[in-house]
Amino acid sequence: LSGQPADPPVPACPAGHSGHTAARWGFDAMERRLAALAGTHPAAALRGAGGLGRLRNRLSGAWPSPEQVGGLFPLLDRAAAARVAWRIGGMECRNRLLVEIIRRGGIAALRPLLRQPSPLAALRPPLVLCFFHVGAMQGLGAALEQLPAPVLAFRQGLLAAGRPPLEIVSTEGDDQARATAFHRGLERLRRGGFVAMALDLPSARAVAAPCLGRRLALSRGPFALARLAGCPLVPLVARWRQGRIDVVHGAPLAADPAIDEIALARAAASWLEHYLLDAPAELGLGLLRHLLAAETAAASSPRRSAG
Amino acid sequence: VDAGLDLDVAVRHLVRRRAPRVGGAAELPDTLALSTGGAGLDSITLVELLLDCEQRFAVTVAAELLAGAPLTVGRLVSGVRAALLRARA
Repeated sequence: LSGQPADPPVPACPAGHSGHTAARWGFDAMERRLAALAGTHPAAALRGAGGLGRLRNRLSGAWPSPEQVGGLFPLLDRAAAARVAWRIGGMECRNRLLVEIIRRGGIAALRPLLRQPSPLAALRPPLVLCFFHVGAMQGLGAALEQLPAPVLAFRQGLLAAGRPPLEIVSTEGDDQARATAFHRGLERLRRGGFVAMALDLPSARAVAAPCLGRRLALSRGPFALARLAGCPLVPLVARWRQGRIDVVHGAPLAADPAIDEIALARAAASWLEHYLLDAPAELGLGLLRHLLAAETAAASSPRRSAG
Repeated sequence: VDAGLDLDVAVRHLVRRRAPRVGGAAELPDTLALSTGGAGLDSITLVELLLDCEQRFAVTVAAELLAGAPLTVGRLVSGVRAALLRARA
């Protein structure tokens, strides 16, 4: 992995370190090496990151721990939960590298990693595409370029620019700044386009719905957009398959005026729950922590929560 | 003058409907911010209020008003009034 002039300098391990610190330093250094390799051999670097992350998780027993995985998937025995935790560790390491690849080469660097043909090419606007922090979420930018009409994607902070038909806008800022982005999304839908935005890990007001035995807070924005534009929502995720980024989406969730945002939230959370029960190792660490911190969903109906 | 007063009252009525926090206030000053630090409208409700105005007065104001300075009751009233005058011109 080394020996190329472009390799970044590797800082020395701090003196007087413990074994734990040394191991962390060593793994961080290997990730930096993989980031350097990704410039010329992204597929190989991503495969290496998957293995490195699994090993790191296996040795540390953390990020996530088998107990954390078991807390959300109680039907898994300890050995199965540990295997899922290793795979999440591998996915997280691969995703960190993916972000680094985007920082260095933009979304263009991801296009060769997409599995073709993309199921997104068959979608017809207007639709609100709502995605979750699972799988290879950072790879969605390149996947959204496959859509057959203009798409406005919301993101907290800009990582890279898309190319038509994809336009990425930041939702950072105060309420008026977010309202401006929201209104642009509404206009995009009314003109026959797509809007894509994360549904989980909301930064503003949220609606809660049961998922994996917890109350999952979901952003109100996608539901409100669908209601105001009178168009359906489509849940989707990006995931790693044989070293490539694959996209899978669910059936449209109709935005019937008779169906309120809470009912739509419940349907979206149910779709995510079914997806994760089939593929628990796709659960991103951030979403896993969020779910573990959420209250249990003992009550039968979802409710709004202050996000 | 009467038409102007009617417009002022109608826009403030729409604000009250979307902003329960100020619903009981005797009057809504022109300087009252509609979102953070004022009426407390979140981003979605702020857009809904502007759509209310567009529907009520058959004008297009949302993009223009959101793009400018912090939106206040006074800016909303004057923005709707200006859009109405443009539409009649």
